[in-house]
Amino acid sequence: MRITVQNLTFTYADRKVLKEICFDVESGTFFGIIGPNGSGKTTLIKLLSRVLRPGSGLVELGERALNSYSQNDLAKVMAVVVQDTFAGYLFSVEEIVMMGRTPYLGRFQAETLQDYAIVRQALELTGCLELRQRKIAELSGGERQRVMIARALAQQPKVLLLDEPTAHLDIGYQQEILDLVKRLCLTEGLTVISVLHDLNLASYYCNGLVLLAQGEIAAAGSPDHVLTTENISRVYKTAILVSPHPLLGTPTVSLLPSNRASLPQQKKSRIHLLAGGGSAGELMRDLREAGYLLSVGVLNVGDSDWEAARSLDLPLVSEAPFSAITAERHAQNLRLIQQANVVVLAEIPIGQGNLLNLRAALTALAEGRTVYLLEEHLNLQRDFTQGEGQELLAEIKLGGAIVINTKACLYRALAETL
Amino acid sequence: MKRSQKTWLFAALFVTLLLTVILATAVGAVAIPADVTLRIILSQLGMPWIETGDIGRNTEAIVWSLRLPRVLLGVLIGASLALAGSTFQGLLRNPLADPFTIGVSSGAATGATIAIFLSQLNGLHFPHMIPLFAFTGALLAFFFVYNLSKIGGQIPVVTLLLSGVVVSSFLSAVISLLMVFAGENIKGIFFWLSGGLMMRSWTEIGFVAPYLLLGFCLIFAYARELNILLLGEEAALHLGVRVDFTKKLLLVTASLVTAAAVSVSGMIGFVGLIIPHAVRMVSGPDHRVLLPASALVGGIFLVWADVVARTVMAPREIPVGIITAFIGAPFFIYLLRKKKKEIRL
Repeated sequence: MRITVQNLTFTYADRKVLKEICFDVESGTFFGIIGPNGSGKTTLIKLLSRVLRPGSGLVELGERALNSYSQNDLAKVMAVVVQDTFAGYLFSVEEIVMMGRTPYLGRFQAETLQDYAIVRQALELTGCLELRQRKIAELSGGERQRVMIARALAQQPKVLLLDEPTAHLDIGYQQEILDLVKRLCLTEGLTVISVLHDLNLASYYCNGLVLLAQGEIAAAGSPDHVLTTENISRVYKTAILVSPHPLLGTPTVSLLPSNRASLPQQKKSRIHLLAGGGSAGELMRDLREAGYLLSVGVLNVGDSDWEAARSLDLPLVSEAPFSAITAERHAQNLRLIQQANVVVLAEIPIGQGNLLNLRAALTALAEGRTVYLLEEHLNLQRDFTQGEGQELLAEIKLGGAIVINTKACLYRALAETL
Repeated sequence: MKRSQKTWLFAALFVTLLLTVILATAVGAVAIPADVTLRIILSQLGMPWIETGDIGRNTEAIVWSLRLPRVLLGVLIGASLALAGSTFQGLLRNPLADPFTIGVSSGAATGATIAIFLSQLNGLHFPHMIPLFAFTGALLAFFFVYNLSKIGGQIPVVTLLLSGVVVSSFLSAVISLLMVFAGENIKGIFFWLSGGLMMRSWTEIGFVAPYLLLGFCLIFAYARELNILLLGEEAALHLGVRVDFTKKLLLVTASLVTAAAVSVSGMIGFVGLIIPHAVRMVSGPDHRVLLPASALVGGIFLVWADVVARTVMAPREIPVGIITAFIGAPFFIYLLRKKKKEIRL
């Protein structure tokens, strides 16, 4: 069932909680509402489920205005599952799920065999069949939430509204419940609108998203369109990185070391990192948090170290993607090394393309600089150059580089020398 | 509860109720054999073939005009209080709620006290003055509390409970003040406040029965809604319940039932609080079973409490409210300890 929201506005105690909200949800899609705390997500769900009435604006459910439904008819079309609620302790699971049949029953009408069959089916779909004689009070949070979804399904709705259905649940239950909802979307044509706190869950499950910020739509559309580094950083006021999910390619949000927090008093000493291939992300964050001035080189564009350095605004030397380091970049790298007090060679995978980063370390040693060589993984096979890399590493060690086995040791050593 | 269990439960309760009515009518200062009692009742109910020739007129009068109305009134009052109690507990989702929670009883008590006070003051007196004043007082108190707690057309549970408590305390102070000035009638007021069924006749039954029967029917009709309201008001909305309407209807109905009952019986405590909890332990939370079962058990309980009240120190009578508290409280503690369970709705 298609849902249209037009110019929805809601005011609470003179404060506009929602302003001019408009969006469409196509039939049979999984639609997500995301946004920071206090952005109006739950209010929006309450307006859609008619617990609250809007100040102005219109919600259409199918071809009819939401307001034109009687309470009973609405319950036949729309079911709602909210965050874990404690209530109805003494009822059995089956009794609770049977309450989902209420809109279909007359005042003095007893439940028919058909109602029992529908309840049984809802219990089966949600994996609650073995729980049916248990009391609600005896269930775990995850089980209780599954029962709530079973009750919603017993209403045989066309639309399912969810308000953070997996809050307080562990990652296993989160997946179980959202997988179930997604399956119903795909197989039964159920239209789902869900508030989701977790952006990655939203991206993983939803066909469409609205991003709310202070009661207004900050972005709407497909997850690719909404979950961009720019949108999320702006609305949540935090440093994040959006990268494709390793298997599905859907946008995945990762936290980044914060850029805005006032850093501890800046130390004057500068460290140059020779990095690449995802070897130095953590190093960059930790050293920056510790207050050192950092520079990085040479990184290929698109490399995760490159992303990290860029998001931290570090001075860096970058090379075109998948290309060998050119003499020009090497020279820039050496210039940064000359400004640094200390050089750290991260545990980078070595290929023909980045041998020059090792040579840069040798140059630094030759110029009399301290070079730390981080080797956390003794048996790590990271030389892809038929021995040339190994030879250079051996040369670096002979040249006086200090070999260090853990990051913690490195930080201590740096703290002592700088 | 399974269907067969329900059938057995209600069969047992009905049989117990019938036996209670007959036995309680038989017991008294003049002991009348149960079979004689039964024969008198049946013949009065229009079964002329029942042989009553051997029974004296006096005995017949004791059974039919004195004891039976008192017993039946006990059944009605007990059932009303227990039914109203379980309705309030479910509606307010509060295990401490009882028919008196939201000030209805204090209103009735104030009304009755004023009536007693006035009749002493200037001889102002007319028939059924006390029940009429009590009933009016109860309704006035209820509507005051109801409107006091109304916020934007809705009645939040917490506001309702608080308004009830505040109005009750205020009215208690009014009663205390009147008692200070009541002089000799203080005993009358005290007896009314403790609750009792003495000197009640068919007239009182006629007075309260219509309200009670109407109330019973309405409340039973909304048993399923009460179940769903236990899940919370938003959840009930999502399941198609017209929450505001249902809440208001049930509040008014349960208060009316309480007001009618209290106006003829005085303040009989404990029945409305304890019977629903005790029944719930057996019947489970489903109001379709809980409501009628509570009503039956409440009726049976109050009749036996009244039997104790009028026999234990005969010929003196003890206010039945004292007996219900004396039996009810220890029994409830026993249930709590035996079940070792939290009291939940």
